Amino acid sequence: MLSVSNISVTLPNGKRLVDHVNFRVGRGEFVAILGSSGAGKSLTLRCIVGLTQPSEGEISITGEAGKIYHSTNVCAKELRRARRHIGLIFQGSNLVKRLTVLENVMLGRLGHISPWRSCLFGFKDSDAREAMVALDRVKMAPFAARLAGSLSGGEMQRVSIARAIHQRPLIYLADEPISSLDPKNAEAIMAILQPLSRETPVIGAFHQPGIVAKYCTRALGIHAGKVVYDGSPQMLPHQLESIYSGSDQQAYFPVLESNVPPSFFGPSAQPSLQQGVPV
Amino acid sequence: MATFPTPDPRLNPPFVEWKESLASKRKKQWTIFIILALLVTVTSWRCEVNVNSFITGIHKGIPLFGMFFPPEWSSCASMMQPMAVTIVLAIIATILGMSFSLPCALAASFNLAPTPLRILMRSFIALERGLPEIVQLLLLIAVFGLGIIPGLIALSLSSIGMLAKLLADVIEEIEPHMLEAVAGTGATGAQIIRYAVIPQVLPALFANGLFRFEFNVRAGVILGAVGGGGIGYVMSTAMGSLDYQRACMATLLTLVLVFTAERISDFLRARVLDGGVVR
Repeated sequence: MLSVSNISVTLPNGKRLVDHVNFRVGRGEFVAILGSSGAGKSLTLRCIVGLTQPSEGEISITGEAGKIYHSTNVCAKELRRARRHIGLIFQGSNLVKRLTVLENVMLGRLGHISPWRSCLFGFKDSDAREAMVALDRVKMAPFAARLAGSLSGGEMQRVSIARAIHQRPLIYLADEPISSLDPKNAEAIMAILQPLSRETPVIGAFHQPGIVAKYCTRALGIHAGKVVYDGSPQMLPHQLESIYSGSDQQAYFPVLESNVPPSFFGPSAQPSLQQGVPV
Repeated sequence: MATFPTPDPRLNPPFVEWKESLASKRKKQWTIFIILALLVTVTSWRCEVNVNSFITGIHKGIPLFGMFFPPEWSSCASMMQPMAVTIVLAIIATILGMSFSLPCALAASFNLAPTPLRILMRSFIALERGLPEIVQLLLLIAVFGLGIIPGLIALSLSSIGMLAKLLADVIEEIEPHMLEAVAGTGATGAQIIRYAVIPQVLPALFANGLFRFEFNVRAGVILGAVGGGGIGYVMSTAMGSLDYQRACMATLLTLVLVFTAERISDFLRARVLDGGVVR
């Protein structure tokens, strides 16, 4: 179970990008986060996986036997431990394009295997067989030996889902997994995510209320960093006015800025004032 | 403000703005051209470059040029050994350059290395690239004496400098999303480098390394002439003892050497970039 309690992301100039966001996600839920660009959807998801540190609040994930993993206010090692249990699915091109499809899937378990062994000797055959099973779940098994860079957008998205499946996480995070896809591929991706969510909760950021109403069990509407709607996705059409009203802020993306310290190896720095890359 | 026959008066101001930006660009281009033309005129006047000395030089040169022919074919066999020295020098320098440039490039890229290390490494690379190979060789000859070793060290160092700079730029162009996706699985820094960074830059390392090999063959000849051994040294001693036909033979062999190196490197580079050899 994921619990996000009272997190805020504040810029040094006092601007709140995420404003006291609270929610819990439990077994069997498929949660959709909706909101206009820059409302704070991606930033909330980034906070959960520890790629951005919130200025206040706490995020924790409860695993089997009540073990709790924190992704806020922890050292790099603890953060890596939490990340092992979070399956991350980004929008579009996040595969390592010069590796094969199967190798990309195997990257999902990097956090679970010994760093030195994996760096020196690569993966074991047993890892590869398990990865094949994950790849088969997204119907991409015939592509195992292809280079990831040679796939189409929809195929890449399936492979990144397979990578998350292979990771066997406690929760899936999907940041706009269908935004760059055509309607048919988008439905196909949702049809993969929905059965996944029955075993392991899925949280995703979406822009399509229609598709959300069809597949998700719950919708969160975010406007200007605040949760303005939390309820059934079927009621969404009546809420669109409050979720999407007025604002068209620029999305905030800390890592795209060259002066921001790298965040890949540990807890990232607080967001700085350098912003303004629209995404 | 000038007016233009645009179909809609609302379009007039942006159109005028575009026109003006174009005009200011033209003005800048002309200014640069005039400055360059002035520079050429003034410097050639100051350095007493004149057509007269060029013509008298040609008159003296043409009979001298005849003394190079026919080349001294009999010395061909004795030049094989110095030729091999030049080739081996280029190969070893390229391999050393390729192997050391990767760690240097990792340390020099802003998205992976901490700032102090990056500044240190970037300064080393800049210093290295700031000194021409010949200057490095002369310094090294002062330390190690005449022979192959100073030539080898000079070539290797400048190979590292060039390849590390090119690779660091390639590393900095890796999409941050891709690194985040791998970091999001709980991978350690070493794992991220091994599975996300290195596969992405390996083709660039090989392509640039092959290019550097060509360069090293040519540079090896020049360094040889200054005292680094090999075919360049044979040529410079032949010229020094006014044995022009022997020098001509050495020149022909150098041409063959450089062309062959270029062909081989072109062929291998095409294979590498195909994805056939290095993925």
